[in-house]
Formats: sequence, C-alpha cells, structure tokens
Amino acid sequence: MSEQTQTPVARFGAFIGSLISATWMAAMNGVGNAIAWFEGWLFSSKKALYGLAVTRIIFGLTAIGLLLSNFSTRLYTFGSGSAWNGELAEPLSDFPKIWIFSAFHAVAANDVAFTALYIVLILLAALFTLGWRFRIVHPLFFVMWVSFIEMNDMVGDQGDNMFRIALIIMFFADPAARWSLDARPRAKREWFDEGSSPRHIGTVLHNLALIALTAQVAFVYGSGGLYKAQGNPWAHGYAVYDPLQTTRFGTWPVLSDLITAWGPMVAIGTWGSILLQGAFLLALLSRPTRLLALFGILGFHMMIGVLMGLPWFSLTLIAIDSIFIRDRSWKRLTEGIGKRWRDAMDRGREEPKPLGVAKAV
Amino acid sequence: MSDLGVGLSTPSSAKKSANTPASDRKVEPPVAVEEPEPRSAAAAKPKVWVRVVALIAVLFTGWHVFASFLWIAPYSQNAREVVPGEMLTNYMIPLFGQSWSVFAPEPINGDYHFNVRATLDDGSETGWVSATDVELSMIQYNLTPPRAGIQSSEVASSYKGAFDSMEEVDRSVISGDFAVENWEVGLRAALENQKSESGSSAETREANIDELMREEHRSTAYATQVAKAIWGESVQKVQYRVSRQNIIPFAQRHNPNAQRPEPMTVLSGWRGLVVEEGQNEGNFGDVFRGQFERITK
Repeated sequence: MSEQTQTPVARFGAFIGSLISATWMAAMNGVGNAIAWFEGWLFSSKKALYGLAVTRIIFGLTAIGLLLSNFSTRLYTFGSGSAWNGELAEPLSDFPKIWIFSAFHAVAANDVAFTALYIVLILLAALFTLGWRFRIVHPLFFVMWVSFIEMNDMVGDQGDNMFRIALIIMFFADPAARWSLDARPRAKREWFDEGSSPRHIGTVLHNLALIALTAQVAFVYGSGGLYKAQGNPWAHGYAVYDPLQTTRFGTWPVLSDLITAWGPMVAIGTWGSILLQGAFLLALLSRPTRLLALFGILGFHMMIGVLMGLPWFSLTLIAIDSIFIRDRSWKRLTEGIGKRWRDAMDRGREEPKPLGVAKAV
Repeated sequence: MSDLGVGLSTPSSAKKSANTPASDRKVEPPVAVEEPEPRSAAAAKPKVWVRVVALIAVLFTGWHVFASFLWIAPYSQNAREVVPGEMLTNYMIPLFGQSWSVFAPEPINGDYHFNVRATLDDGSETGWVSATDVELSMIQYNLTPPRAGIQSSEVASSYKGAFDSMEEVDRSVISGDFAVENWEVGLRAALENQKSESGSSAETREANIDELMREEHRSTAYATQVAKAIWGESVQKVQYRVSRQNIIPFAQRHNPNAQRPEPMTVLSGWRGLVVEEGQNEGNFGDVFRGQFERITK
C-alpha cells in the first residue's frame, strides 16, 4: 500500500505508534542508563570511607564507655551476683545458646574468668577504635561483644540490636581504610592492586554494605515514626513529657522540668521527632534537607542520650548517621580544624602581635 | 576492552610527537602512556566473573534490604505474605532481631516500684525497703549510667504484667502466704484449683499461670537477695509489694496542688526464700548495700 492511500485514521495510528515506541525506547534507555550509572557507582570507588571510619571510632568508644560504666557493677548485673535472674541456668537470649557467642555465659559463675574476659573485651574495643589489624580484631570483637551484651536480657535495649546489626553489615565494608592504624601501612602497600579482581569485589561489597546500613537506619527511623504516629500523646504534641517525668527515663529531673515547662517547646520536640524520623530517608536525597535531617536527628539523640539516661543507645545511632556526611565534608572539616590548630599553636610559640593582626583584619 | 581503550589514545599521542624532531626523546610517550593509565573506565573494567559475583551480591543485598523492611516496619500480615513460610523469621532471627516500637505508640507514663520486707529468725518483721529507689539512684544525674540501675524496675514491670493477666479469683491466692519449703508447688496447685470465671480457654489459663509462676520465682529470688543484702543471714521469709504509679498529667504540670495518682499496688503474701544455684550473695550484697547506705545516709 502506498503512502498516498493512507487514511487520516491510519496516519493518527502511526503517530500513536511512534509515540509508544519512542516512550518505550526512552524508558528502556532510562533503565539502561540507570543500570550503567549504578554499575559505575558500585565499581568506581569505595564511598563514605571517612564517614564509616567515624562510625567505627564512635562504635569503639561506645563499647569502651559502656564497659567502663558497668565495670564496678559487672558481677552484680552480669556475673555471679545476678544468678537470681535465672539466666545462669537458662539464658533468655538466643545468642548464649549458640556456641560461638557462649563464652561469657560459660564463665558467668567464675568471677576471675569473667573479669578477665571483660578486660579482654575492653582491649578489643580499644583496638577496634584504633583500627589495628582490623580484619582480625573486628570479628573477635563482634563475637565477644554479642556474647557479653546478651548475658542479661532484661537490661538490654534496642541500641544493642542496632550495634550488632551494624557490626555484621560492617564485615562487608572497609571501616578501617581511613583514620586508623591500618591506614598507614595500607597507604604504602595495599592488599590488592588497583584494578585487580579482588579489589573490584571489595569495592562492590563495601558500597553494597553502605546501602544495607542506610536502609537499616532509614527503616528504623521510618518505622519509629509510624509507631509513634499511632499514639495519642504523640499526635497531641506532648509525648516527650511523659517518660521524662518518670524516674527511670527522666534521669535528670531538674532538666526534665526545665525543658517541659513551656508547652510549645514540648510540641516541637514531640512533633519534630515524628517528622524527622518519618522524613529521614527522603531528606537524605538533597543537601539542604540532609543537613536539616542530620542536625535534627543529632539533637534528638543527644536529648535521648543525656536526658533519658540512654547514652550508649544514642551514640550507636549517631555513629551510624555519620556515614551520611560525605568524604568531602569530613576532609574539609578536619583540614579546617587542623589549620586552626596550627594557627593557634604558631601564635602561641612566636611572640604574638595582636595589634598588627587586628589591623590587618 | 582494555586494549581498545588505550589503543584509542595512542594515535593522538603519536600525532603530537610526530610534530617534534625525530631525534627528540619525546618519541617515547606512546609506549609510556600504556603503563600509568589503568584508571580510565575502560581499563578498569571488571572481568566477567567479577561482574557475576557483583550481581549475586547485589541480589543478596536486595533480599536483605527487603527482608529488613518487612521486619522493621510495623507488623503487616498481608505484606509479609510475599515471603513464603517461615523464611523471613528464619533469616532475621537471631542475627537481625530487633523491634522499634520504642516509646510508642504511647510512651511510658509511670514508675514501677519493687519494695521488699523480711521476717527475721527472731520472728520480727522488718520495715519496707524500695529496691527500685536504691537501683535507680545509680543512674540519676549520671551521664554514664550502669545497667545495674534498671533491674528492679524490670522485675516489677514483668511481675505486674503477669499478675494483671490473672483473674480476680486468683488474686486472693497470690496474696496468701506460701512460705514453706517447695512453696512454688503449693502456689501452683492452689491457682490450678481455682475455677476460672472469665471463660478463657484452658490453654490461656495454663499459660497465664506458667507466666505468673516464672515471675513469682524470679521476684522472690530477687527479693531474697535484697533482703539478705540489708538484713543478713537471719532472713527467713520475704514479702514484696509491686506498684505502678502514674506521673502528673501534662496538662496539670504547672498546678502546684497536683498530686501523682494513687499507685496501683500488688501485695504478695509471704514467700519462702529462693536462691538460684551459683548465686554469689556477696557480689549482689556488696553493690546493693553500698548503694543503699549511700542514699539513706
């Protein structure tokens, strides 16, 4: 059939057909481009190395802090003084029943062995913080930590779960590549050459671990927001008042009274918590909203950590949130601090010329 | 692929050097270029097997993220149907076990208390001691609170929960004295002899009794340690009073006459001592007595 004989309907049909095929092509190109972009992102370099190093450091300090603050009551809460809770006979958590996590439970009745293991765990936490022989220290620390923290189920909190899950995800990442004792020798001689296959796989796993960790915290915040939204005290803007007035979760009564005195402040804290948690994942997508979300959630955790007596829970979540600050920003931050430090030190060493400086400014 | 990438760049370098005198050492670059440029995307292209491994890792991450989403989100049976059988639970538990309904939907708005008194071997009864006040004082105004501070609140809250799910007819049984040897057998038998008035199933009733007996055992073991820490070895029997008291409601927080509501109190009968095997009474007593003396001075 020749072109001249086409009816208007057929020409319209051809037009629709070409639209559909163009849309299809565009969609397929889009998918193809997205896959290519994702592959490039996945293989090109390890992301958030500084952020994850900060996670490692704060995690280590959190563990050290928790262990030291429980040291003088360790036998009372976890050791032979706590047999009354029945866990010596039959642990409540699943972990002490799994042999690799059973070390602390096995020595719970023996004060000397328990204390020795406790001190070993503090040392492992210190090495974890410093990033020394990280590929060896990390699994040892993980196994011992879980074994310890699951000894007494009733005193645990969700921070313990978050800590454990993040430690598992971090096995696939490279948290000791920066700001660690391992970083120096690695800068001279990397484990695998650039462009080699093991190196590629390491990069891919690292970046996928970041995705898993991001999903983990984002879901936790999103879910926390949804759970809260179901409750009347949250909807009506006064929920943060309630726990702060109890003795257990209002560990600084004077401060609790102070910050809950003015109603609008209580509403900001209450609604702000829900909004920040619910919006967290989407807020990460652009820089200005990311800053808002990160500073907001930092403030939220500092309040929980101090006012509600849950410092280790809060530090765990703050530590993970540091992966959302880009390497560029961490570098700029440390360079700025380093410069100010050197300036201040130099000024102290030489005889200062405050007038001259003031004039120059 | 990698050869192609470098190969493409070679002619331009060669062209550049062609303009320079043949005797010049700059003729060399085409060869040198091949070495230090593995960074270009084409040269760094991963091998096929590496990409297959990466694809498997991506798929596994996808599963992990999806499973975490279903697990962390508020429970939805219809959403979880997408994963067949027990696969989700088997994947998440125990390593990824977690629950995030913290302070939600309604945050805690009351305090639990666990008070203990004892009968000594001369037959005298002691006064009440709040184990909760002793322990909570460890975490008050403390930036690095020890976990020791919250045990009695936990014991009290679990005991009260178990007690509250018992029926009215059981309450007089629980407030009765069971202070002879093997008293737990007697208490259980007495509860099982009660006629249920709520019409709840035999299984539910059995489960509730099991739960209460577990809490009776643990609370008595704790009360025994508290009593021995304060009154020593002459302790013969213990009794505990578990309560929950709500806070002053938000709207009344500025009312100077506002009082906290009356506590809801459970008073157990006298109980025979319970000491778990392996219990080191010194390690409990030293910490508890030390703190008790610190706050009562």
